[in-house]
Amino acid sequence: MTLGFDREWQLGELLDTSSHEKIGPALSELLGGDFAITDDAGKTFWGQPSPDARREALILELEPIGYLLSRSAPASALMAARNLMLVLLRAQIRFKMASTLHLESVAEDFESLKREHARLSESETRYKTLSTELDARVKKQVGELEERQQMLYEAEKLASVGQLAAGMAHEINNPLGFVRSNLSTFEKYVGKFAEMKNAQGAAAASWQALDLDFILEDSIDLLHDSAKGMERIARIVADLKAFSNVDRASEEYADLNNCLHEAVSMVQTQLPAGINFRFDLLPLPSIVCLPGHINQLFFNVIRNAILAIKDAGRPGEVKISSEADDEGILVRIHDTGVGMTKEQLEHAFEPFYTTRPVGGGVGLGLATARNVIQAHSGRISLDSQPDVGTTVTMYFPTPS
Amino acid sequence: MPESDARHLTFKLVYYGPAQSGKTTNLLRLHDLLAPELKGEVMTMETKDDRTLFFDLLPLGFRAPSGLLIKFRLFTVPGQVAHDGTRKAVLSRADGVVFVADADRAQETNNGESFQSLAANCARVGLDFDHLPLVVQFNKCDLPNAVPEAEIRDRWSAAPWPLVFAVALTGQGIELTFEHLLRTVYRNFGQKLELQAKHGLSEDAFVAGALRKAA
Repeated sequence: MTLGFDREWQLGELLDTSSHEKIGPALSELLGGDFAITDDAGKTFWGQPSPDARREALILELEPIGYLLSRSAPASALMAARNLMLVLLRAQIRFKMASTLHLESVAEDFESLKREHARLSESETRYKTLSTELDARVKKQVGELEERQQMLYEAEKLASVGQLAAGMAHEINNPLGFVRSNLSTFEKYVGKFAEMKNAQGAAAASWQALDLDFILEDSIDLLHDSAKGMERIARIVADLKAFSNVDRASEEYADLNNCLHEAVSMVQTQLPAGINFRFDLLPLPSIVCLPGHINQLFFNVIRNAILAIKDAGRPGEVKISSEADDEGILVRIHDTGVGMTKEQLEHAFEPFYTTRPVGGGVGLGLATARNVIQAHSGRISLDSQPDVGTTVTMYFPTPS
Repeated sequence: MPESDARHLTFKLVYYGPAQSGKTTNLLRLHDLLAPELKGEVMTMETKDDRTLFFDLLPLGFRAPSGLLIKFRLFTVPGQVAHDGTRKAVLSRADGVVFVADADRAQETNNGESFQSLAANCARVGLDFDHLPLVVQFNKCDLPNAVPEAEIRDRWSAAPWPLVFAVALTGQGIELTFEHLLRTVYRNFGQKLELQAKHGLSEDAFVAGALRKAA
């Protein structure tokens, strides 16, 4: 900083033009008319210095900062004028230095305050950030705890439901077996009764009277209906067993693309009109899995997709895609069916949750699917919009 | 770095220290004792109850053999704690510092705090404290309760700065302090400013020029 209070002040800085215009005439008058003021570089501030004039130096510190010149004034008068001028200049330089220093020190104090302020602001910001972070961390941990608790609750619920399902399946299977067997035996017995139709005499008359022709025919129908009902019970029981993992299969190396094809071939036999399949399957690494369960999983999801399109009452498409990266395999099954509401999405994976009328579905499809996926350390998620369609995304990690 | 042009070289030297340790007295004594080629009056800016509010200034000067005019401008800072902003402004651009401590045992804390503020203020105004020419003067050594010289020397034995024991009122140690400062300043800047090579000015001549005694 060249303009510090401690610079060596020049005459021009100490006395401005108006000061010279007051001092000049006054000293001129006192010194008899011929008078001039110049600075040390020869610049004239007042009067017209002549080369042969007497001059007196103005020294404030060590060196002259200017001169007083007069040709007419006696030496003593010029010296007196210089002394007068020095008193003036000393007062002036003290004022100038003090005020400049004051400004510098005020600026310095202000800088100190600003530094202090910046330091305080910084610490305040730090505390604010800390408190926000703390808040967020507490919230996150509470969230995590709640989530864990929910998962624990779900897991226990699933486990108890699974046990119940396994018990029920076992208990139902036994009577189911003998009822089915009895029904088929009973059908044979009814065939025997039919032979009575060709009998003569009183027997023929009572056959007619009792309208046994109709009864025989209806009996057969009733038996067939019952057998169908039994089959449905058997299917539900099978679903329950799959859901509760009652029949554990052995692990094998399998290509999930093959599993997808198998699942599609199972549904294709009963495929309603107006539904197309589209495949976008990329080569996948084989993974160790339970292929039976995987087939069941894909079957459940694909069946849901078909039913969703059927419910929409319009032609649609099921798009099945698969791809693999370094970490795992991604399978997407997308349909253009009715889609799901937010509320339905929330409950979709709960066992026995179904939107279908009684007899239409048990509500185990997606619950089973999730169990199978979790058994393979994978993830399943749903993305759906009502009237647009649903995408089921399944992820299977591949061991690295 | 001292200000210089072709014909001038100006060193700014600052007397720093706690309140009423005798900084102004140092300047007044130097003015009385020395008679270098050029000597100005002590300019005392403003005082309140005999205490410096802004600064005091004593200009001294002499001519090197080459014709170069060497000027010393000796400043004092206000010692009172409240004037830290002024102290910083006076300290800035200093080429050398005399730290005037008060030998009175009761003033030890003030000395310590003032020395700390010198180090801190040097950093604030951009002076490299580790390489700043510095002389430490313990003033008022004649006081009955002054800390004994041996004790002070022992305490400061690890410090790199010259120690001078002074009684500013009588002038004792005042010139020695200034001489130490001149030598440190010469060693610090002499080479860079080519004082010997270009201006024919040795360290002793440099000291002698500034310290010429009054008759």
